[in-house]
Amino acid sequence: MAYAIDDPSRRRFVNWFLGTSAGAFLLAVLYPVSRYLVPPPSGESAAGTVTLAIKPEDVKPNTGQIFKFGSRPGILVRTAAGELRAFSAVCTHLNCTVQYRPDFGQIWCACHNGHFDLNGKNVEGPPPRPLEAFAVNARGNQIVVSKGA
Amino acid sequence: MTAPLVIIIVTVVGVLGLWTAPAYAQPAGADNCATCHLAIGAARLEKPVKDYAHDVHKAKGFGCVACHGGNEKEAGMEAMDPGKGYIGKPGRKQVVQVCARCHSDATFMKRYNPSLLVDQATEYATSVHGRKLREEDDPKVATCVSCHPAHSIRPPSDPTSSVYPLRVAETCGACHGDAKYMEGRRLPTDQLAKYKESVHGKAMIVKGDLSAPTCNDCHGNHGAAPPGVSWVGNVCGQCHTVMADLFGKSVHAKAFVDMGTPGCATCHDNHAIRETGDRMLGLGSDAVCTTCHGATDKGGQTAVEMRALIDGLAGRHRAARELLDRAEHAGMEVTQAKFDLNSARDSLVKARAAVHAFTVDAVKAETTAGVAVADKAHARGVRALGELVFRRKGLGISLVIILAVIAGLLLKIRQVDRRGRAIERGSAR
Repeated sequence: MAYAIDDPSRRRFVNWFLGTSAGAFLLAVLYPVSRYLVPPPSGESAAGTVTLAIKPEDVKPNTGQIFKFGSRPGILVRTAAGELRAFSAVCTHLNCTVQYRPDFGQIWCACHNGHFDLNGKNVEGPPPRPLEAFAVNARGNQIVVSKGA
Repeated sequence: MTAPLVIIIVTVVGVLGLWTAPAYAQPAGADNCATCHLAIGAARLEKPVKDYAHDVHKAKGFGCVACHGGNEKEAGMEAMDPGKGYIGKPGRKQVVQVCARCHSDATFMKRYNPSLLVDQATEYATSVHGRKLREEDDPKVATCVSCHPAHSIRPPSDPTSSVYPLRVAETCGACHGDAKYMEGRRLPTDQLAKYKESVHGKAMIVKGDLSAPTCNDCHGNHGAAPPGVSWVGNVCGQCHTVMADLFGKSVHAKAFVDMGTPGCATCHDNHAIRETGDRMLGLGSDAVCTTCHGATDKGGQTAVEMRALIDGLAGRHRAARELLDRAEHAGMEVTQAKFDLNSARDSLVKARAAVHAFTVDAVKAETTAGVAVADKAHARGVRALGELVFRRKGLGISLVIILAVIAGLLLKIRQVDRRGRAIERGSAR
């Protein structure tokens, strides 16, 4: 069955269809596109480097802080002598998160009482390997920690 | 003077003579010992000289006379004059004295290795080896040279040394794994085989983890002895401090001593220590608690409750992690949730350690916090996946609309084209 080219009902349908879909088109296209283009609240990449939301002067000597390196914890330590050092905070024994103990002057794992010195070396308890060391750079008000120290 | 008194005086003088010998234990000059031993052409005489080329004592400048006495500057048999202190090949008991002349002299040893301990002879005297040598003149027990082969002694840090951590088990096993050599003794001879299959042995031998314990870490080295029943926990507690502390305060510490069972080794074995796991807890087929406990006694019920708490946290942690992994692989940003979930894993590890307190409360204290964290992470994973579904639906709907608009446009274009052609045909008529 063939419609006449100037069939008014068909023309009206097509015009209505195009007219009403213009708004829907814009809305339906732009909204998801905007949601894809605007990234969700993002953590730092798990790749090589992380900039910490800590000012160097806020890290006092003989203290340590846990920071987020991708989805893994890192630990930033300022030694009593004032040097900043950073390591993976994942204990090499059973992957617990380690912490800094000012009373020991060492990095310590609460799970099985593992001790690491301030070079990350396992010095007591069951951890079999040193902590992975990171490079730390203080750039103005920022602390940048990178893998591959 | 009676005969026994003469013997005592002679012995004392002899021993003092040996113990004061560091004075001549000096670096060597001309070495006629080596010259003759190599010139004679007998393999038996050549071997010590050739072996000694790589000995740590040779490296420090000591010659044959440091241990054997005599005078290496003399050519010929005069070098081996007993009157000049030559003792030849030391006897089994004499070996310990010869080594101890220097190694028990702190002042002397400081000149060569200030950090080296000087208690080896004292320790050896307390060892089973030392006691059997002293009291029974046992011809088979180890002396210094059994573990540190004479003429090829290397420091423990040297990978070719017989006492390098990777080689200690084989060194001890040379005697203790030899059923024929150990015949007539009460000791088993399967320790080496069991150690190789143990979690410690695999860490040391397979992974090359030099911090893993080997024979001397539990038995002592120069003072080697089996740990007593009441102090096994102290031995294991050198590394496993948290568990040892909890165990020491638990009901089992006393119960095991009363039963005469060896503390940690009661559940974990001694040389064949397997990798631990939740399977060991409770009343299942692999559970060690079943050795003493059953479903009807309080201990058995405690074990079952502790296992349920740990399984509950482990299951929640696993579910949350899998959910977050799925969301992450689908492109959602969940690193904060995964970061936070780490503390649930910490709680799980601590709960497993807390089992050694053998109370439900100790385990629950760790699992409660962990479960809360795991549940929160799980909820964030559910939200992330919900967001993913929403975005996919949005994309699908927008694609349908886009395709519909494209189809509409094509229809419109076709309509316009046809109308145009119809107008052109009308004009042509």
